[in-house]
Amino acid sequence: MTYPDPDDPVPPARPGVRPFLQSGPQHSTGGYTPTGEHPPVEASTNSLRPFVITSGRTDGGDPDIGMETQVTVVPGAPPSRLSPETRAIVALCEESPISVAEISARLRLHLGVCRILVGDLRAAGQLDVHVLDNDTPDPETIMRVIRGLRSIN
Amino acid sequence: MDFDPSTDRRVVGTARVPGGAPKKAPVPVKIIVAGGFGVGKTTTVGAISEIAPLTTEAEMTSESVGIDDPGQATMKTGTTVAMDFGVLTIDQTLKLYIFGTPGQTRFAFMWDDLVKGALGALVVVDTNRIDDCYPAVDYFERAGLPFVVGVNTFNGQLSYNLDEVRWALAVREDVPVISFDARFRGSVRDALLVVLDQALDKAIRMKSS
Repeated sequence: MTYPDPDDPVPPARPGVRPFLQSGPQHSTGGYTPTGEHPPVEASTNSLRPFVITSGRTDGGDPDIGMETQVTVVPGAPPSRLSPETRAIVALCEESPISVAEISARLRLHLGVCRILVGDLRAAGQLDVHVLDNDTPDPETIMRVIRGLRSIN
Repeated sequence: MDFDPSTDRRVVGTARVPGGAPKKAPVPVKIIVAGGFGVGKTTTVGAISEIAPLTTEAEMTSESVGIDDPGQATMKTGTTVAMDFGVLTIDQTLKLYIFGTPGQTRFAFMWDDLVKGALGALVVVDTNRIDDCYPAVDYFERAGLPFVVGVNTFNGQLSYNLDEVRWALAVREDVPVISFDARFRGSVRDALLVVLDQALDKAIRMKSS
């Protein structure tokens, strides 16, 4: 094992010490707080106002609805008056089970917007949202993924 | 109604089968591909995905940004980030999603959602810009998500060897540091298999405890 000698000439783009190693141990996990660097404050010229579609709601999305969560239509759901966006979501889900992220990508809807609308449609009895019982993946499932991956070439 | 699962059950002739979508939705699992800008995340996702990578846009919402910090009160405007992802159907009942996430510190707000339920992560590293992956490594360490450091050898050579990368990242001994080529499916598959190995270790540990 060779380590760079500190007396050697500095190699190009020599890595610095990782920020959290400098700042000592952090006790909280998750809830990552950005430090130092912040997104540029954008002037209020956002051309896209996606949350108009959700009547201004930016939260209220069901925390159970993840990006990969599968969505299907409720068979025989009563017809109801839907907005163009929600109608498009239902139409996509009619084809086959689909993830929230795929709905977002294929309809070019912001992910956050999509989650809120899917939550609305679930509440309205139009969509089934297949929330997983266990949050942590079990070994059997991982083994199946490993076998599946090994079989591709 | 009984259908042969090997045929497309959605369409019979030109008519849609009554009932629409199959009732049974597959179980989704996901792996995160993280790293700095331009290190090859999208290439990695595209190499393994059975569909052309899709892009979803996520909005940074007000509560995601230091809302308790009065100094940051002006940060409420939304910032949109694009995220690429791909899909790999393992079988009829299991689908693997591979999400490429913007790795810059300022996009970290998205990661809590992203890692929830994830099997593990592949941190893609460009040895010319090792620093770019620090936020990802920090995040996954703190979140307790199994991860693997994958040095992308897109030029066919490494400016640093893997021991030097490990030294620079100061990751735990049990975190694998490997090299792979994001352009090749087999190479990406092998890298993901190392991630899954780590995920399996953790899942077995958690189950037995």
